[in-house]
Amino acid sequence: MFVYIVRRLAGMMVVMLIVAAVVFVIARVVPGDPAAVMLGSSATPEDIAALRSRLGLDQPLLAQFILYLGQIARFDLGDSIFLNRPVVQALAERSELTGLLTLMSVGIAVLIGVPVGILSAAKRGRWIDQTALGIAMLAASVPSFWIGLTLIKYLAVDLTWFPVAGYGAPDASFGERLRHLVLPAIALGIPNSALILRFTRTSMLDVLGDDYVRTARAKGLPPMVVVLKHALRNAMIPILTVIGLTAAVMIAGAIVTETVFGLPGVGNLIVSAVLRRDYPVIQGALLVVSAIYVLINLSVDLLYAVVDPRVRY
Amino acid sequence: MTKVSRRLFTAALGAALTTTGMLGAWSSPALAQQPGSVITVATIGEPPTLDPVGTTSDLVSIITQHIFETLFTFDKDWQLQPLVASALPQISADGKTYTIPLRSGVTFHDGSKMTAEDVVASLDHWLKASPRGKTAAPMVDSVTAKDANTVVIALKEPFAPLTALLAMNNGAAAIVPKSVIDGANPLKSLIGTGPYKLLEHKPDQYIRLVKFDGYASPTGPASGYAGSRTAKIGEVRFVPVPNAATRVSGVLAGQYQFADSLPAEALGRFKGVAGVQPVIVKPFGFPLMIMNSKAGVMANQKLRQAVLTALEPGDMLLAGFGDPAFIAPEGSIYAPGTPYYDAASAKPYGEHGLSKATELLKAAGYKGEPIRIMTSTQYEFLYKMSLVAQAQLEAAGFKVDLQVLDWATLLQKRGDEKAWDAFFTYHTFVPEPSLITVMNPSYPGWWDTPAKKEALAAFNREMDPAARKAKWVEIQKLFYSEVPSIKVGEFYNLAAASDKLTNYTPTPWPFFWNADLKN
Repeated sequence: MFVYIVRRLAGMMVVMLIVAAVVFVIARVVPGDPAAVMLGSSATPEDIAALRSRLGLDQPLLAQFILYLGQIARFDLGDSIFLNRPVVQALAERSELTGLLTLMSVGIAVLIGVPVGILSAAKRGRWIDQTALGIAMLAASVPSFWIGLTLIKYLAVDLTWFPVAGYGAPDASFGERLRHLVLPAIALGIPNSALILRFTRTSMLDVLGDDYVRTARAKGLPPMVVVLKHALRNAMIPILTVIGLTAAVMIAGAIVTETVFGLPGVGNLIVSAVLRRDYPVIQGALLVVSAIYVLINLSVDLLYAVVDPRVRY
Repeated sequence: MTKVSRRLFTAALGAALTTTGMLGAWSSPALAQQPGSVITVATIGEPPTLDPVGTTSDLVSIITQHIFETLFTFDKDWQLQPLVASALPQISADGKTYTIPLRSGVTFHDGSKMTAEDVVASLDHWLKASPRGKTAAPMVDSVTAKDANTVVIALKEPFAPLTALLAMNNGAAAIVPKSVIDGANPLKSLIGTGPYKLLEHKPDQYIRLVKFDGYASPTGPASGYAGSRTAKIGEVRFVPVPNAATRVSGVLAGQYQFADSLPAEALGRFKGVAGVQPVIVKPFGFPLMIMNSKAGVMANQKLRQAVLTALEPGDMLLAGFGDPAFIAPEGSIYAPGTPYYDAASAKPYGEHGLSKATELLKAAGYKGEPIRIMTSTQYEFLYKMSLVAQAQLEAAGFKVDLQVLDWATLLQKRGDEKAWDAFFTYHTFVPEPSLITVMNPSYPGWWDTPAKKEALAAFNREMDPAARKAKWVEIQKLFYSEVPSIKVGEFYNLAAASDKLTNYTPTPWPFFWNADLKN
């Protein structure tokens, strides 16, 4: 397994290099200029040219790229043009929020999706199954921003149970900050729970039809043991895969939800950086997010061996 | 229900309840935020910088005007008043020497006393680093300290807009300690003389300004931005909330005491709601369709006149804002009630006529070249207006290539005279006509005909207010005959404030000194 992990990590380095190059090129190919954004709409071309020169954006692209690769080799992601701080610091400041939001929303998605998916499979074709599938279809079809705005309207504005937006006052306790994440986590978790539910159901249905499950039932094992112990464990590999992918996507993909709830997360950071053409942040954040994505996938692959003894690396 | 399904159902229900329980664990009292002497202001986003000198961004000036002050400012009638200066400048008979007395006892946020040396250094910095300062720089011969409390600006020739430029809160001639100035670069630290000082800035999360105890206020009754300033609220916290619907919900729920730039359709949500008041800011701004007077097909003046005739600005405004309460089809570049308002010289505005436009097109020798119009969905009202403009122009016989870009791309592309023929933007109200971007010959569009150059120079030389108004009318006539841009009309800004926020004065750049918070 050690050799396998080392090989995967080496592969990850190659992926990172490709990501770095692609992101650098795309960021520069897309028109738009951080200097023009920074100076405001009244700025003249002369003002913009002067600022570009000060920021080093008038250097040839190749020179900028070599400088950028040199920084990466020193584990330095550079400084943000707008935020007046290193990219690493900007990412670190947003990591708590993004980490907690991902955990909470994946938690909600798993706690709803997996049990209901199992139940749905066990009761295939019955009213419980039909209802669960119908609700799952609805949940998957409704955009998370709509769920977010609806939750804000009823639970935050009308009932005032939760805050509308933000990540708490500067002196907010950890509990208060968590409270700010409840509605966004629900808004993100619900559509994803539908995905996990459908994968769980399908995977369980495959396994429940296998001979060994029939044998277990024939031996007179209690139905709960057959489903949860014998069938579920073998159905876990696709479920783990989709949970891993869901978590990975949420790290940078919760952009719409973060915007609706005014949350300063990693997704928001990337979108702001793209709109402002803050090149160092775009490059650095996408590099880190790609690394996390690859690491989550690696972790999921390693978990396969835990749930299925037949998988060996 | 079989045994297994009952158990599974119970397990699933348990999981769901656990989830719900977890979520409800903090659902006790609403928001647990008792603002006390803190107000939270929801803004449209994160400002690109907090240096008020180098940028003309409105968002930056809304925040930084609490930290930094200028020599002069404007009262409620948009007349010039002293701020860091102790009186209006004494201007020599030839209009070339401005002697500016300074208030004594003004303290910077770092505790140091402001001197004339600081003011001279600040003005020198402004002339090099600010887009507005650069407009004045060619006219300025020197800035010197006459004594500890007097600064003298010597001009090469009379330049009447100088005092207005010195009073603007964006691209601002902010008075800062000499020690924080580093050539034309952004300020090294954000130290001003304002009633609030910067406590903390967490990008995309909040900007905390706290009351500056050592603040020395100007005297006189408060009027607009002028007069006495008192920081009655202990902390003003600006939070970026890019989603407009969230700003509306936040102010309704009491999480924000003020929310800026709300969509017109949100007005109905405030009706009959206790605790929140809508605030409509008039005058606020005007959308512009800027045309490329320098290169391409629109360099043909007759064609620009055809565009003016083809467009029906009332339809464009309605499409852009939806609610007539927020718009006024007004052709005068300055709105009614402001010193430079003049309807007569704006007469061609709204004289919409398809047949006349088609005739003008023929006279212009138009051969169906596509008109490249740039617009952006980042400002939805601009995008909607450009769709109506496209339809109206096509009805008159134009061929339109509407290019929908993101704002950053539009800002970059408009600098290239060969890349476009027209673009949509908007202008916030400015009290001095020469500050309107279209007046600047280097601003994209490049309106710089001999007649305009001469009229603007005469306007800038004129010191007498009544004579300046007459000269402005001449410029407005040129604006409508040479058509460098089309003013679509006036639009107003919707904001909302908590009932607890008292003594708030609606202005285009909202400020919170003198405002108070009721318990």
